[in-house]
Amino acid sequence: MTLDLSVPLMNSLTLGCMYTLMALGLTMSYSVTKISNFAHGELVTLGGYITALSVNRGINLPISLVLAFIASALLAVAIDELVYKPLIKKGSRPLFLLVASIGAGLVVRYLMFIYADLRGVITIQARTSVEIIARIGRAALTTVHLWVFPITAVSVALLHLMFHHTKPGKALRAMADNEDLARVSGIRVYVLRRLMWVVAGGITGVAGGLWAVYSIVTPQTGWEALLRVFASSIIGGFVSFWGTIVGGITIGLAENIGISIMNEYFNVSTAYRPLISFVVIVLVFLFRPSGVAGIDVIGWIKEKMGRGE
Amino acid sequence: MFEAIGGYTPLITSFLVLFAIYLIMALSLNLEYGYSGIPNFGHVFFMSVGAYVSGNLTARILYKLSGSTVDFCSGQAASVRTAYASQHPGLSIALFILSLVIGAIVGGAFGYIGSYPGLRLKESFLAITLIFIGEIGRIIARNEKGLACGLTGLTGIANPFCWIDNVNLRSILYTIVVLSMAAATFIYVQKLSQSPFGRLLKAMGDDDLAAKVLGKRIPRAREAVMVIGSALAAIAGVLRTFYIQGVVADDFIPLITFTVLSMVILGGVANNLGVLLGTLVMTMIDHFLSPSFLSTIGFRVEFDITYVKYVITGLIMIFMLMVRPEGIIPEKPVKTPLLDISSSEEWEVEEELKL
Repeated sequence: MTLDLSVPLMNSLTLGCMYTLMALGLTMSYSVTKISNFAHGELVTLGGYITALSVNRGINLPISLVLAFIASALLAVAIDELVYKPLIKKGSRPLFLLVASIGAGLVVRYLMFIYADLRGVITIQARTSVEIIARIGRAALTTVHLWVFPITAVSVALLHLMFHHTKPGKALRAMADNEDLARVSGIRVYVLRRLMWVVAGGITGVAGGLWAVYSIVTPQTGWEALLRVFASSIIGGFVSFWGTIVGGITIGLAENIGISIMNEYFNVSTAYRPLISFVVIVLVFLFRPSGVAGIDVIGWIKEKMGRGE
Repeated sequence: MFEAIGGYTPLITSFLVLFAIYLIMALSLNLEYGYSGIPNFGHVFFMSVGAYVSGNLTARILYKLSGSTVDFCSGQAASVRTAYASQHPGLSIALFILSLVIGAIVGGAFGYIGSYPGLRLKESFLAITLIFIGEIGRIIARNEKGLACGLTGLTGIANPFCWIDNVNLRSILYTIVVLSMAAATFIYVQKLSQSPFGRLLKAMGDDDLAAKVLGKRIPRAREAVMVIGSALAAIAGVLRTFYIQGVVADDFIPLITFTVLSMVILGGVANNLGVLLGTLVMTMIDHFLSPSFLSTIGFRVEFDITYVKYVITGLIMIFMLMVRPEGIIPEKPVKTPLLDISSSEEWEVEEELKL
């Protein structure tokens, strides 16, 4: 029997898009604040819970996703205002901020656990009607995909527009480059940081909401996804959105198609799925810490075609 | 004598064993994170190495010797192993000591491997990488049947004192062993941190470039501290394995590292006495907020009480970093016995210069 890759391919793209959406916020917050935000996963979980709870109350999906956006944005801003900002003002080392983000993540995650346990919603999924629209091979294109793909594409496009063609976006890039220089140039650093956390947290919340439609959500969801989200950002070099997309899709492909091929030909158990992305990260970190950022594909092609300088 | 406090013995011994194991973990993490500035957040992985080594060593030798033919991972084989060990006191103690030695060696070897990224990455990235390495280890262990019997875990690892009939006496003896191991670790780490090597670690943690400029071999020191810290963590893993008499891959989650980290941060970074205090406080929270303890005093809540423990852990980490990053007991100047700086003249000159 030949290996049918249509189902893994579909899963790769879906998961890849969702990891990308989750990782965009992480890339943004890392590049601007230089915090390795381990509380990022909790934004995903909160978005997922808000969406699932409100959809199951009968509110339609777009409004639920907006609610998820708002909730996660508020959480992100709250964590920044209560934890990161005071620490940065005290001049803490980046490592302390990382530890603080682990602490903040623990607090939020286990508060959600307590809430979920009290309400009896330790596992929850948004009850939406999933219809099959088209079939590609054995894989089915469902309504879930009609949400996931456009939202990812639109978010990336909007972020690109924002960061390259608006004033706050350009200021944020300046901050990412050199915060002190940005500050003396008259950029209001803390106002912009808040804006960044709203956008980063919100997008992550929407990603969590889509996850709730696609699969089940538990208070642990964000933490479990976090390592893959880090992987996506790291492959993208932690700086560029396009790199993050490449990273997210790469992780999606590696975890689905990669494991299918290895399962078929090398008899590797599919339980090793997460291993691929973790190994990828360790290797990227050790041998190319800048990720795919800085790889000049067009220049390389030109050189090969003999049209280079 | 044992009958008099018999009812409370399990409560006290389980607390003390937990405390001692956490103390070894916290002291070794303090050596890496507190003194040397290496954020080894994959610390639990090195603990798990010790657990797998000791579990496999003991269980496989007992399995061979008892000559049982049933499946190695089955519960029946486990009870055969325990029964065999309880008839051979010398063997069970020998296996325990052998496990400690080999566990520490293998843990140190893994620490050496772990120092490869440790030499090449800056702190946040190193922390992430080490967390990932720990998770890779856990995923492999839960899927590889040969390592710890997969998801079910490896059981039937006989306690070194399983040949004693009196359960209380048995646990008291094991508690004494574990506590003395913890005390030995404390003395060792304390001596180490006050030695020239300890001062080198401290210099490295404060500013490794400056230490390098002064001609110190920073890569060697980083390797050494990772090896020592990981070997100690592996010993903690061995002690834990023999205490719960089993190894389950899913016990070694990053959350344990974070709990240990909160002990270091709470008590005092780069202060072993502080770490002792932090460990005591956190172990008390850990122990007295467990469902099994609360049910004995008749306290019940609607949700799983362990969640509260982690919320408190997180809050403590944030609170300490904000209010008192140096911990409850701050770091003290290292006392060097041979040279008393305070009486020398140079010191006074320096003081005057400050004014």
